[in-house]
Amino acid sequence: MSQMNLPDAVEYALSLLGKDGGVVVGGNSASNNLRWANSALTTNGDAVDQTLAISAFVKLAGGVGTGMASGQVRNKNDVENLVAASKSAATSAGPAVDAMELVAGPLHDDFSDKPAELSVADITHVSNGLGEVLRQRSQEFFGFAEQSRDTTYVGTSAGTRMRYVENTSRFELCAKSLDRTRSAWSGQGGTSLRNVSVQVHSDEVLAKLEHQKNIINVEPGRHRVTLSPSAAADLMIYFLWSAAAREAAEGRNAFANPKGGTRIGEKLSDRRISLATDPSLAGMETFDHVVNLGSSALSSAFDTGMEIPRIQVITDGTLTALGSSRHAAKSAKLPFTPLTDNIEFKDQDGHGSLSELASRMNDGLLITCLWYIREVDPQNLLLTGLTRDGVYVVRDGQIAGAANNFRFNESPIEMLSRVTDAGDAFACLPREWADWFSRAKVAPVTITDFNLSSRSDAV
Amino acid sequence: MIQFAIPAPPSELAAVALETAAALGASVAQFRLAAHDSRGVSIRDGEVENIGADTSIAMSVRVVHGGAWGFAATTDLSAIGASDVANRAVSMAKLSTLVAVDEVVLAAEPRHGKQSWTLPIEIDAFSKSDDEVIHFLQEWNSRVAASSIVSHIESNIAMGRDRTFYADLIGNEITQQRDRISAALTAIHVSDSGFEDMRTCAPPAGRGWEYLTGTGWDWNSEIDQIPEYLAEKVKSPSVTPGAMDLVIDPTNLWLTIHESIGHATELDRALGYEANYAGTSFATIDKLGVFKYGSPIMNVTGDRIADHGLSTVGFDDEGVSAQRWDLIKDGILVGYQTDRSIASKIDMDRSNGCAFADSALHSPIQRMPNVSLQPGTDSTTTADLIADVQSGIYIVGDKSWSIDMQRFNFQFTGQRFHEIKNGKIVGQLKDVAYQSKTPDFWGAMRRIGGAQTYLLGGALNCGKGQPGQVAPVSHGCPSALFTGINVLNTRDESGA
Repeated sequence: MSQMNLPDAVEYALSLLGKDGGVVVGGNSASNNLRWANSALTTNGDAVDQTLAISAFVKLAGGVGTGMASGQVRNKNDVENLVAASKSAATSAGPAVDAMELVAGPLHDDFSDKPAELSVADITHVSNGLGEVLRQRSQEFFGFAEQSRDTTYVGTSAGTRMRYVENTSRFELCAKSLDRTRSAWSGQGGTSLRNVSVQVHSDEVLAKLEHQKNIINVEPGRHRVTLSPSAAADLMIYFLWSAAAREAAEGRNAFANPKGGTRIGEKLSDRRISLATDPSLAGMETFDHVVNLGSSALSSAFDTGMEIPRIQVITDGTLTALGSSRHAAKSAKLPFTPLTDNIEFKDQDGHGSLSELASRMNDGLLITCLWYIREVDPQNLLLTGLTRDGVYVVRDGQIAGAANNFRFNESPIEMLSRVTDAGDAFACLPREWADWFSRAKVAPVTITDFNLSSRSDAV
Repeated sequence: MIQFAIPAPPSELAAVALETAAALGASVAQFRLAAHDSRGVSIRDGEVENIGADTSIAMSVRVVHGGAWGFAATTDLSAIGASDVANRAVSMAKLSTLVAVDEVVLAAEPRHGKQSWTLPIEIDAFSKSDDEVIHFLQEWNSRVAASSIVSHIESNIAMGRDRTFYADLIGNEITQQRDRISAALTAIHVSDSGFEDMRTCAPPAGRGWEYLTGTGWDWNSEIDQIPEYLAEKVKSPSVTPGAMDLVIDPTNLWLTIHESIGHATELDRALGYEANYAGTSFATIDKLGVFKYGSPIMNVTGDRIADHGLSTVGFDDEGVSAQRWDLIKDGILVGYQTDRSIASKIDMDRSNGCAFADSALHSPIQRMPNVSLQPGTDSTTTADLIADVQSGIYIVGDKSWSIDMQRFNFQFTGQRFHEIKNGKIVGQLKDVAYQSKTPDFWGAMRRIGGAQTYLLGGALNCGKGQPGQVAPVSHGCPSALFTGINVLNTRDESGA
């Protein structure tokens, strides 16, 4: 091996940072993937990436400056170069606005352990299952499977030594009719591809394709819809990313109160809806202490090592918190609310599966996926995007057929006031944001007057 | 001389990897070593928020074995690492052959041998010290901060450099380097009636530091005008929705080209290879040579050779030399973007050189070249186009964008919406979005500006593929006039 042992690299970098200190993060990421299209495997990959990233703190007249440097480290000289670059940048930067004392975070016993290795067993499990599915010739299959294992070493000059191992899996299966006029999708996030049954996903997409044989033309407009957990997750993840206390307190995001302060305390829904991030969320466990190298509206390098509790952003329909760094929280006169890398969205009065919820809707549209979601207006968090791979027409509680696709224009804040029913929260794969955010436990919801702005002829 | 600063020369690592792959029975083996340098500074309300630099370097081997692709990558840049990564690539190919393989056939490409190519720049941005970069950006901030309309300012400068080494079994050894730079400043106004912002419209460019000092963009003029533009926007009326004529500036139109032409003319999408993720395309191969994409004044090229283009290279990531070709001629679809394996799917003699991977950790896939709308042959100016509109909007700068998975239905906003009445600009409007369907929109292009209105826009963050990859890409275009385009009021859309 030509690479330096990461725990040693972290310790050496910290020793070079000296008494001014800083944060050092070593990352080892191993991943395997398979991709298929037109019912045949196409590309694949087996990659191992290892980097060291440093946020140096330098005491200056008037405060503490921070600067970052990152790259691969093969030897001590590489570490020395990164430390020198980060300290130089910190000196040039001037005093950081968000400077706070680092806390002494946890000391993990396994800090010096080697990075967790990734076996091919997970990806092989999927390839074994794909063979039979791809041989079916009455439709075409497309999809992607990925298994990754990330080992993260975190050291700070305040004594924090943390080691995290995160397993992340992702499986997607799309089926299209041979004439490509019908298209259905199923996805599953999680920690291991070995939990994926390719056959179950195949059965699901084939059943959806059957529903699409009856095409029902539906005009754009405001419709009653039921959003699948995946579709609801994509909207609520954007809600979460935008829910920054700093910008709200400054009057410059959709969570600002025009009369001053933030909208915390405002009733967003009459239903007992909740939105939370929780490092202990069962099956979706993730970082339980802050790990950060830079500064942003939601986090700060100076917070590294701080404990991340469960944060209730919405409680019983009321906005109860906005994400913040310690500095942002202090400036906004709010509690420190660090968010972590998962989402739980549920309705205390919700119950049943997606299909049960759609049936209770009686008449409306069942939307399975959203796509190409972008912010249109930050003042009200208006988002646009498309429905994709299945909009089903529900009549008298039954799926009567499939509609065309639509462009939507909706705000995930404002739409909460129009939620009329919900199901149980399920683990799901957010179709749009899964590259960045795949740990989601989200309830399907029924919403009235959902703005389907125009028709999309895409399939 | 392009340097990689690693213990073993790339050619030695390549030799180990390629020999290993060949010995294991690979019929094709491609070695890539890529180093990516990036550096950036962001300033928020006059204080440095983030400053940092990154250099990532990795190597990879891609093989064809048993008719299947196999790809593996590592950051372990040793001879052992090179041998190991070749072994793993062959193993991945074998895994695919056990299931169902999309047999790989590569369109022919001449051997180019040893080559070196560097994107020309005038001033190395990486030679600038942190202090110089910060002070430069601070000066922009201070000019805008002097305005009472400005409540907050966000600004940044980012620079990137790719150094790549490619080698294969037929004897190619290609070393390349290209630079890019971008900067932006956003001014924000906050009041008890809400907030508005205004951002610079300068695109990222394949240039060095000279770009920030006036070569290719008039930064001083634009930054000085930001408070004025913002003040006008704050007091502007909300648009009345409906069909109207639009004069679209290149600072906005580049993104519409990117989404509705650039991605739509990717042959891998048209054939279904992106169907699960980025999507497919309405521009299917049965339409090649016959489909009316837009009005007869519409001529669009793909290229990897444009001066300062973000997709400009000497050779692509599978050894194909850079080219320029037609995608749309006189409004008719006449071409696609391809890599070697995708080109062979429709029996093209040669790939037009669009293989790209954003790092050595990812397998090359077909990615977008510079895709550009050609200007008119006369000297029509943007003012001429505006003078031709009785009632409409002149749209400048990009902001929000979204398009469906077959590249039909799109919606865009912008930075500034100048209302046109009787051929003259009378003020700004706000809450504007335009929404259309690709063939309808381009079919409604009635006039285009001449070469003097042409600008190379672009983005650094074009996403595609699974695992996801990002690519920088440029799009040149003139100003253009479109008639009868559906304009929405975004406040109405929100139901507010």
